[in-house]
Amino acid sequence: MATSVTFPSEDQNFFASVVRFVPGVLLLAAIGFAGKVLEQSINGYAKAHHLVIPNIEYVLWAIAIGLLIANTVTIPKIFIPGIATYEFWLKAGIVLLGARFVVGDVLKLGGISIALVVLEISGSLFLMTVLGRLFNLKPKLTSLLAVGSAVCGVSAIIAAKGAIDADDEDSSFAIAAILALGAIALVTFPLIGHALHLSDNAYGLWSGLAVDNTAEATAAGALYSDVAGKVAVLAKTTRNATIGFVVLGYAIYWASRGQAEKVKNKGAFLWEKFPKFVLGFLVISLLVSVHVFNKEQVGALANLSRWAFLLTFAGVGLRTNFREMAKQGVRPFIVGALGEVLIASLTLGLVVAANAIWKL
Amino acid sequence: MSEDNKIATAATRLGLSLDVWALITAFLLALLVRVGVLKHVPW
Repeated sequence: MATSVTFPSEDQNFFASVVRFVPGVLLLAAIGFAGKVLEQSINGYAKAHHLVIPNIEYVLWAIAIGLLIANTVTIPKIFIPGIATYEFWLKAGIVLLGARFVVGDVLKLGGISIALVVLEISGSLFLMTVLGRLFNLKPKLTSLLAVGSAVCGVSAIIAAKGAIDADDEDSSFAIAAILALGAIALVTFPLIGHALHLSDNAYGLWSGLAVDNTAEATAAGALYSDVAGKVAVLAKTTRNATIGFVVLGYAIYWASRGQAEKVKNKGAFLWEKFPKFVLGFLVISLLVSVHVFNKEQVGALANLSRWAFLLTFAGVGLRTNFREMAKQGVRPFIVGALGEVLIASLTLGLVVAANAIWKL
Repeated sequence: MSEDNKIATAATRLGLSLDVWALITAFLLALLVRVGVLKHVPW
C-alpha cells in the first residue's frame, strides 16, 4: 500500500515529528472539502436549473476523489505520514460523536447492539474458521481473517498478529482482504439498504455489525443518511469494545498449542487492547446528558465530529490501492468474500428480527 | 509493517497510544467549546 515512513528519532523534537504530518493532513482536508463543495455545487446547479438528480453525498465524493488519486498517481512520500492519520481523526470523531447521543439512546441502541454483537461475533468466528479450513488456508491466517471479520478489521488483525505470533505475510493477506471487502461494502450496502427500505436505525445497525473496518463502517452508514451514520458508529464501537476478549481467546488457544507466548496478566492484556476512545465517547455522551454543554455547544461538538470524519473518509479513499491488494493473491480474498456475504446475510437477518421486536 | 501500524507505533513512542492521543485531542476540543474559545463551528 503506502511507502515506508521513517520515525522521529530520539533526538528529533515533538514539533518536528508533528510537522511531518502536516502535508498529508492538508491533503485529507482538501479532498474532504472538495467533496463537500462538489455535493453543494451539484445540488445548487440542479436546483437552479430545476433538474432532478440523485443527491451524491460528500462522503462518496471524498472517498471517490481519494480512490482516484491513489489508483492513478504515485502519492509523493511527503504526504504519506499525514494520510495515515485518518485513523486518529476517526477515533477523535467518534469521541466527539458522543455529543449526538444522550445516555438513554446509548443504553437502548447500545443494549440492542450488545445482544446482536455477541451473535455476530460467534457466527463470524465460526463461519470464517470453517471456510478457512475448507479452502486450506494456513491456520493463523484463518485466525486473523476470523478476528478481522468478527471484531474490527485492521485494528483487530494488528492486535491479534502480535498476540498469536502470526507472520507479516499472513497479516498483510488478511488486511488486504478486509480492506478490499470494505471498499465493496461502501457500494453494495447502501444499495441493498434502499432496496429493502431499511429504516435509518436498522440500516445503521446493520452497517455497524457487518462492515469490518471502523472507517468503512462509518462511511457506509453516512452514505445512507446522517442518522444511519451515527447509529453505525455506535454499533461498530460496541463491536470494537470486544476486541480484547476475542484476541485474548485466540492468544490462549495458540499458546496452548505452543505456537504463541503465554499471556501472563490477562487483566493488563484486556486493558491494553481495549479501545480507549470508546470510553471517551461514553464520557462526552454523559456530559451532554447532564447538560454540561448547552445546545449551541452540542452543535459545535457535533460539527467538529463531522469535520474529523471528513478527513477520515478522504483517507479511506487514499489508502485503498487496488493494485497493491491484487498482489496479495486471490484465495484469502475469496474466503473473505464468501465469509462476508454470509456474515452480511446473518446480520441483516438479526437486524430485521430486532426491528420486528424493538421497532428500531 | 503497514502505514497504519507505523503511525500507531510512532504515537506510542511519543509516550501514549494513538487511541489516547485521539481521546486527549477530542477532550481538549470539547473543553475549548465549553469555555467559549470555540463558539461556532460551521458545517
